[in-house]
Amino acid sequence: MEKSVIRDPGFYVMVGIGLAVMFIAPVMLDLFTIMQFTQYVVLSVFALSLGYIWGFGGILSFGQAAFFGLGAYTFAVASINMGSTTIPMVLAFIIPTIFGAALGYFMFYGRLSDVYLGVVTLVVALIFWKLINHTAGPEYSIGKARLGGFNGIPSIPTLHIPGDTGAWLDPAQMFQVFMAILIIIYIALRFLIASDFGRVSIGIRENETRASLLGYDVRLQKVIVFAIGGGIAGLAGAMWATYQSFIDPNSVSMEMSAKALVWVMAGGVGTLAGPIIGCILLQWLTLKLGTVDVVNSIAVLGAIMMVLVLALPKGIVPTAKMLAMNGWTLWNRRPNRDAVTRKAVKHE
Amino acid sequence: MSDDYNILTTRGLTMQFGGVTAVDNVDFNLREGELRCLLGPNGAGKSTFFKCLTGQLTPTKGTVTFAGQEITGALTHKIVNLGVGIKTQVPNVFDGVSAYENVRLSARRKHLAPLARELTHATLERCGITHLAKREVGLLSHGQRQLVELAMVLAGEPKLILLDEPAAGMTGDERDRLAQLVLESARSAAVVVVEHDMAFIRQIAKFVTVFNRGAIFREAMIEDIMQDREVQEIYLGKQANAA
Repeated sequence: MEKSVIRDPGFYVMVGIGLAVMFIAPVMLDLFTIMQFTQYVVLSVFALSLGYIWGFGGILSFGQAAFFGLGAYTFAVASINMGSTTIPMVLAFIIPTIFGAALGYFMFYGRLSDVYLGVVTLVVALIFWKLINHTAGPEYSIGKARLGGFNGIPSIPTLHIPGDTGAWLDPAQMFQVFMAILIIIYIALRFLIASDFGRVSIGIRENETRASLLGYDVRLQKVIVFAIGGGIAGLAGAMWATYQSFIDPNSVSMEMSAKALVWVMAGGVGTLAGPIIGCILLQWLTLKLGTVDVVNSIAVLGAIMMVLVLALPKGIVPTAKMLAMNGWTLWNRRPNRDAVTRKAVKHE
Repeated sequence: MSDDYNILTTRGLTMQFGGVTAVDNVDFNLREGELRCLLGPNGAGKSTFFKCLTGQLTPTKGTVTFAGQEITGALTHKIVNLGVGIKTQVPNVFDGVSAYENVRLSARRKHLAPLARELTHATLERCGITHLAKREVGLLSHGQRQLVELAMVLAGEPKLILLDEPAAGMTGDERDRLAQLVLESARSAAVVVVEHDMAFIRQIAKFVTVFNRGAIFREAMIEDIMQDREVQEIYLGKQANAA
């Protein structure tokens, strides 16, 4: 019988760590570190979006950055035009969700196989990237917002308290709000995955033929999962835009899509903690390697990735879980074994 | 034979793959509540025939009618929701999750959660795999996986049950239980069984359809089929003589 969320200790550990970091970090750490952490939080939300559709829907998207970028640009354009950030934040979730549903409709109702799905998502992200790169002229404006092509959109408003456009959040407050968003998305996804909807998605991941032979509409189910993933990635994009107060086509680049894949793969497909941990670990490593001049940081990252895939093919979190479980059973057996040997000694 | 009593009818059903005709102009009738065995050598087109019935393949020609409704080439999940359940030749199960969850997902299709749970427990019990409920299906033996898949089919409460080689990989005990289950299920649903295991066939068969080269070769009672020289030649051969 599948474990329910409320009985899973891992769930409480993750939420507990999240809450602790959310409240303690701003008190303990300096501003620069907090801003660094904020970046990890935003990218973790992005990682979760792919971790969900890949690990719990069996949809391998090579262009998840398309949604990230769409959300970022939606937020930038909407917030510059409206002057407020509350509704743009909501839009940055809704518009990528709708786009995901539309794209998903054509892919899944067209019965694309996995390989072509990967190609299509990759190409969609590339088209986005090309398109935005070509919007440099002043004629490419939406309202007050100039898209700016490869120069990007500068001076995107910082997040403020809903309803009060003057009350900007300072970096520590922004970090806390983003932590809260990450925690809420984590909890929401955990419950979604444990629901009947989520169980059917897992069934589809395991065996699509059987899912349809039980009478489930595989296409519809996949479209919904894909759209939810798109919405979450879009929200991450909006967080990215407001955190940097700047956005450029790099947010839609292949590198962005690839990074998400690497984080999820390293952390562990089929978990939610995995993508978060993979993202933080690898981003932190990239940062540290960036300060070393001797070796190329990307080459080192590539090597680390290869070692991870070879040594921990299931990813960090599933392997750690397995080791912990094995350790636990061994620990439990020990006293019994001692008792047995002692008995044996007595009999002699 | 009037069509009114037929739960399943095919007319001129044909399935071609390039130049190969896997199912050739098949007119098949199945009455409500009937238990039918489908025999035929490997490559006779039995599994392809099943796939045409469940919408996994769209037939090149001909029609399939289920319970008075034409379902030719309809989407699999729509056909299934009309009341068709199929156990495929190679078990299609959800490997990464428990046997309980496999069956529950089937029961949950029609029923609300509490009823689905009850139905799941009852079905697992009926198939004699309650002890496997918590095991991951991917780690079970072939015979056990077959029983899990059968439980999934039964939990969907279909009006027509298609079983493609259900006894393959089963131990003697498992096979006897399976025969009991099939006979029991035939009381509330029409059942079509494809099987090569003659011991199993004898336990359950009455009226038999023999396929050969994609077409219906013979339809008769099992006793007559066993006596039929031509059938023996194409398929039963030594197995029947030895028995």
